Amino acid sequence: MAVIYLDNNATTRVASEVVEAITPFLAGEYFNPSSMYEAARGPADAIDAARKTIARLLGKARPDEILFTSCATESNNTAVFGTIAANPERRHVVTTAVEHPAIFEVCKDLERRGFEIDFIPVDTQGRLDIGEFVRALRPDTLLVSVMHANNETGVIFPVEELSRITKETNPSIVFHTDATQSVGKLAIDLRGSFKHVDLLSFSGHKLHAPKGIGALYIRRGTRCRPFLLGGHQEDGRRAGTENVAFIAGLARALELATESHDADVARITALRDRLQRELVERIPYLEVNGGDAPRLDNTLNIACHFIEGEGILYQLSEHGICASSGSACTSGSLEPSHVLRAMKVPFTAVHGSVRFSLSRYTTDQEIDTVIKVFPNIVASLRRLSPYWDSERDAPTPEALEMLEQTEMPEARA
Amino acid sequence: MRDNSKLKTQHSKLMYGAFGHIRSAIMPRAPRLVVRGGLMTWNYSKKTTDLFMAAVQGRPGTHLGEIEDADGFGEHGSIACGDALRFSFRVDRDADDPLKDRITEARYLTFGCTSAIAASEALCSIIEEGDFTPIEALKITNQDIVDYLEGLPQAKIHCSVMGAEALEAAIFNWAQKRGVDLAELGIDISREEQEEGRLVCTCFGLTEPYIERKIKELELKSISEITNAIKAGGACMSCHHTPGGLQDLLNKVWGKQPATFKELPVLPMAREARAQPPREMSPFKFAKLVETVLDEHVRPQLARDGGDLEIVDIKDQVVYVGMKGACSDCIGSNRTIKMMVEQALKDRVDERIRVVQV
Repeated sequence: MAVIYLDNNATTRVASEVVEAITPFLAGEYFNPSSMYEAARGPADAIDAARKTIARLLGKARPDEILFTSCATESNNTAVFGTIAANPERRHVVTTAVEHPAIFEVCKDLERRGFEIDFIPVDTQGRLDIGEFVRALRPDTLLVSVMHANNETGVIFPVEELSRITKETNPSIVFHTDATQSVGKLAIDLRGSFKHVDLLSFSGHKLHAPKGIGALYIRRGTRCRPFLLGGHQEDGRRAGTENVAFIAGLARALELATESHDADVARITALRDRLQRELVERIPYLEVNGGDAPRLDNTLNIACHFIEGEGILYQLSEHGICASSGSACTSGSLEPSHVLRAMKVPFTAVHGSVRFSLSRYTTDQEIDTVIKVFPNIVASLRRLSPYWDSERDAPTPEALEMLEQTEMPEARA
Repeated sequence: MRDNSKLKTQHSKLMYGAFGHIRSAIMPRAPRLVVRGGLMTWNYSKKTTDLFMAAVQGRPGTHLGEIEDADGFGEHGSIACGDALRFSFRVDRDADDPLKDRITEARYLTFGCTSAIAASEALCSIIEEGDFTPIEALKITNQDIVDYLEGLPQAKIHCSVMGAEALEAAIFNWAQKRGVDLAELGIDISREEQEEGRLVCTCFGLTEPYIERKIKELELKSISEITNAIKAGGACMSCHHTPGGLQDLLNKVWGKQPATFKELPVLPMAREARAQPPREMSPFKFAKLVETVLDEHVRPQLARDGGDLEIVDIKDQVVYVGMKGACSDCIGSNRTIKMMVEQALKDRVDERIRVVQV
């Protein structure tokens, strides 16, 4: 059965052009770029070239502002712990309630260590509460870390504005953004609209490069201590032999994303919008999470009332369709997604969320298949649900009453 | 479980009494039968997925539905907790002795994941195939459901427990309807009061007596075993190592000394350490004055162009203002407005004031 891959916010297929860029450094030019002999010049040059390409494509940043890491999680950890280590006199961090775990859990951990953390809430569409953000900021704030686009809902935060407000409050506050979901999808101009951003994380495998390569932009002059200690690689800012092949692949992937950006956006948006429109039309009691907020063009997060997402995913996968869910049964915790709970998605729907995330390889036919099978899957699970009256094909009266409660009944810390 | 939904949960009314020894024998068998695997990938047995697919496709022989005027009816779980099972059965009533009733038909409605639905199917099949009296059916354990499914991933064991709990609730309901005195049969029915104890797992609303009983019955030896079986501690995880938390309950049941807790040192907060810059005015008076100046000197000017502004916050000498009305759309004049507001405040309140536009 052909795989219909609609989970591109989890990871992406490696582009064939990227494979071509990587291959020479696996078998042939395997030399350590730190070595002195002539043969090592190829790998060393490849890293230099990749650094230049990436810096240029992020808005004419300087090459020495790009640090290669192993993944976005490492970039995020480096940004947070590196900033803390470099500014020991400050202990206040501002972040959001919907960050990726690579920031969210790090901040929770800092809180346990005695740091003061403000988790800025979002509204029901996933938009950041700017008033709360401003009120949380302090002149002695150490770090602000706000994601650019949300991995679950695709909702985009106004990083340009937030970083400006931060710097106008106090230029010494470090501003970090986790741009893992947006690099390659949204234009990022580190000399223009992102000029107030000090640190920016992303990884390769969200933009058709392989897993195992990430990068951290560190604006010149930003105080940030290394996270990995050891050798002198990356100007002493990140020890460890460079992943030459994947660094070359990351640069190639970003080039491809930039080249085809305009065409991709138009096509992907049309596909996503059609998918959303058709599903909303065919399925009653469906929420589009973040539907009214500025969103990534490739992401559709929906929540089906009265059913559980894991059973949806299982049936989708029977049709070869790959998607993901924020339900408790798929999260590794027994709790549904912290992002959807922060958005106060009704508790009757929060377990029934499904995320479809498209890429430039998504086809019309694939979307057709989803539109055809998804409503039946939802109907099949509702038939089994104690909250659904199959005869009337509508929620039971009790279920309708529950719908009016919008929040999860439990008050959770 | 504590929740505001309409589904009543009845586990606290359940009882095992004389059958407790059967239950306590089940967990040691588990490792042999349970499919090991990651949390995130599907590691279901073929039996589990076959039952699930049969159920969602409504194939003949599946047990979807609710029996009207059922002889036994029980529920477990809630939509807020992520899974819920509504179970009902019909008996062939014996004219003389209700204890000779035979269960002939079982049905379920389930909100939950693949394994929760498969476990519900398994429960109904076990019961219909066994030709049990309700009292015999009480002996069906969650491990029987796991066995029928040819194993369940560890993290999904709670789906089988949900089935066993709903079954027991239904049998209790049958006993009430048929006037059977379970206490007379040596089955403890005083459980309900005991289990309204101290709340340990607030996320799933589970009390100390309930968790303690389950630790004993299912021979749960670690926090992760507790979570896999009854979900306690599986969400916010704050009850794992707190005093009186899951680890302490395990220690209490299995006779270990409670761990001594070292309070983690809390570092002094930056907020306390921060030196306040000397200021002539109190923050209240300062804010009032800013507001007055904006009202008298700035708002009238903006209003002429159909605009307005609001104060979002004031910190020291930084005033955060948001533009409203026509001003909020007018990108070109933003800088001018900011300068105008800032100048008015500098002149009339404090020359150190800075305005940040939000």
